[in-house]
Amino acid sequence: MLKYILKRVSSAIVSMFIVITVVFLLMRLMPVEGYFGGRADSMNEENKQKILENMGLLDPWYEQLLNFYDDLIHLDFGRSVTLQPKTPVTKILSKKLPYSVGFGLGAIGISLVLGCSLGVLMARKQHGFWDKLGTGYIVFINAVPPIVYYLLIQISVTAATPLPMLFNAKKPLSYILPLICMALGPTANYAMWIRRYMVDELNRDYIKLARAKGMPNNKIMRKHVMRNAFIPLAQYLPSTILFTISGSIYVEALFSIPGMGGLLINAIQKQDNPVVQAVVLLYAIMGVFGLLLGDIAMAICDPRISLDKKGGSR
Amino acid sequence: MENDVVLSVRDLVVQFTLRGQVLTAIRGASLDLHKGESLAIVGESGSGKSVFTKTFMGMLDKNGSVKSGEILYDGMDLAKFTTEAEWLKIRGRRIAMVFQDPMTALSPLMTVGKQIAETLELHQGLKGRAAKQKAIEILRDVGITDPERRYKQYPHEFSGGMRQRVVIAIAVACNPEILICDEPTTALDVTIQAQILDLLRDLQKRYGLTVIYITHDLGVVASVADRIAVMYAGDIVEIGKADEIFYDARHPYTWALLSSLPQLGERGEDLFAIAGTPPNLFRPVKGDAFAPRNPYALKVDFQYRPPYFDVSPTHKARTWLLDPRAPKVERPKNLDRIREMGGYIHE
Repeated sequence: MLKYILKRVSSAIVSMFIVITVVFLLMRLMPVEGYFGGRADSMNEENKQKILENMGLLDPWYEQLLNFYDDLIHLDFGRSVTLQPKTPVTKILSKKLPYSVGFGLGAIGISLVLGCSLGVLMARKQHGFWDKLGTGYIVFINAVPPIVYYLLIQISVTAATPLPMLFNAKKPLSYILPLICMALGPTANYAMWIRRYMVDELNRDYIKLARAKGMPNNKIMRKHVMRNAFIPLAQYLPSTILFTISGSIYVEALFSIPGMGGLLINAIQKQDNPVVQAVVLLYAIMGVFGLLLGDIAMAICDPRISLDKKGGSR
Repeated sequence: MENDVVLSVRDLVVQFTLRGQVLTAIRGASLDLHKGESLAIVGESGSGKSVFTKTFMGMLDKNGSVKSGEILYDGMDLAKFTTEAEWLKIRGRRIAMVFQDPMTALSPLMTVGKQIAETLELHQGLKGRAAKQKAIEILRDVGITDPERRYKQYPHEFSGGMRQRVVIAIAVACNPEILICDEPTTALDVTIQAQILDLLRDLQKRYGLTVIYITHDLGVVASVADRIAVMYAGDIVEIGKADEIFYDARHPYTWALLSSLPQLGERGEDLFAIAGTPPNLFRPVKGDAFAPRNPYALKVDFQYRPPYFDVSPTHKARTWLLDPRAPKVERPKNLDRIREMGGYIHE
């Protein structure tokens, strides 16, 4: 297991290195006008050159790249150049991350509990009341663009209740609506997958055997069906949790939560190279480690999966 | 003879609802099961063998139900059972079942030991170490070597034959009275088949089980069965002691079934196959269900359902050929050769 993890981590480092290099080079291909924002026309050539020199953008690209690697090794992500000039990138991120991760984890927690319960209720009685209700909900969530029901919730609920419309870190009441909005989609997805996997499991032979050996139905559900149905979810859960880091663009914009949502897009538009590089590196880490943790979670849940290459003994 | 009946089925009718249509899977079948015997139920696919025995455990699929008839067992009528609570007193505890495919019959996430111990916890109230000790004992009983180590292993670490032993261990764990083996060897290769059948015979003696084998493999039947019931289209058409069925069958369907034994074929010729297809059970069957495929069919076969005619006190068949008024019909000549295949029946 340890050997496997080390192998995966080292190959992860290589892929992150490639990703970050490609992004670095792509950013250097952008027209330099971007660095001056809207003031490009009103500045003279001398000032422009000076600004570019300050940013270190006039050095040959390979020198810039080597400097960048050197900083990275020392865990120096540089300072923002256009978004919040002179602020260290880590400081920008460390301010924004807690909001996104906090809301993200909250939403995952809520949707896991609600979604799994709904899925179990749906699977227990197929074509029953809960199944029909749940199917309706899942279809609605998947068919309607989220922004539509986000707006609907924000406007109608705040009109009917004293819940505030915008997020305010000091008012816990203002946390409720964004959390609900963010949990709606994943709840539908968890319900859909849990139902589907449980129905699959319910038709398996070992469920018949469990019945034949005289096990009560609710016990079969708990001890056999749910356990087996959860495995496929275990694989994706770590990725889902890690991806909360990227924040929700819609919800954060709608409730003006100062989170990570939209940060990358803003940074690219303003050609804030250090911010773009740091955020991309962060996303690459999320992607690679989400998959790795997912594989490990599967191996923990399912005894049939062995991460070490070794023939199964029969 | 009569007082040692453990389970008695009377005129059982089982129906399924499929896409709004009603299928009658069991059409008034009756059967007496004697204590300690091993009875084989044979018949082609779809003849209702599995469905018939599933009713003894309340294991019919959701769309199926017992429409009429009785299943008398220990003073109870199992056909009247409706709630899960009633069935939990029977399933696993009094009547147990071994399934066809051992590869899928065990939960992949639980150690085999735990799956046996689970049964013991359910029915015998054994917990923790006591359940484990008993489970290990049973593993040893079903011929698994090094049971302490095997207890902690998962099903995927077992071969097919070994898994079937585990499934059997789960079935016999609570000393059931009746063991239903639904094609217990079909999914296994031939050498393992013999071992599993030996094991079942051995356990039957040791635990005093009454065993029902469901199979379409006449080789299996020959090696394990005391009595044989032949099923066709949801009814038992002939039942008797093993040698009565093998050497002195009376129902044309049994003749046809026996004729399809590959050993009776001539080298170089096609194997015998029964012409036609089984009747459509979505529609009521008139007369003898086998009549349209029966080369010996009489006119009456298409009109009236035959009753059972006794051939001997232990042997009866549902065919008009046994009526005193029926013309004398000789059974196919090749069936005489079954006797020559000495040792094939009962080693």
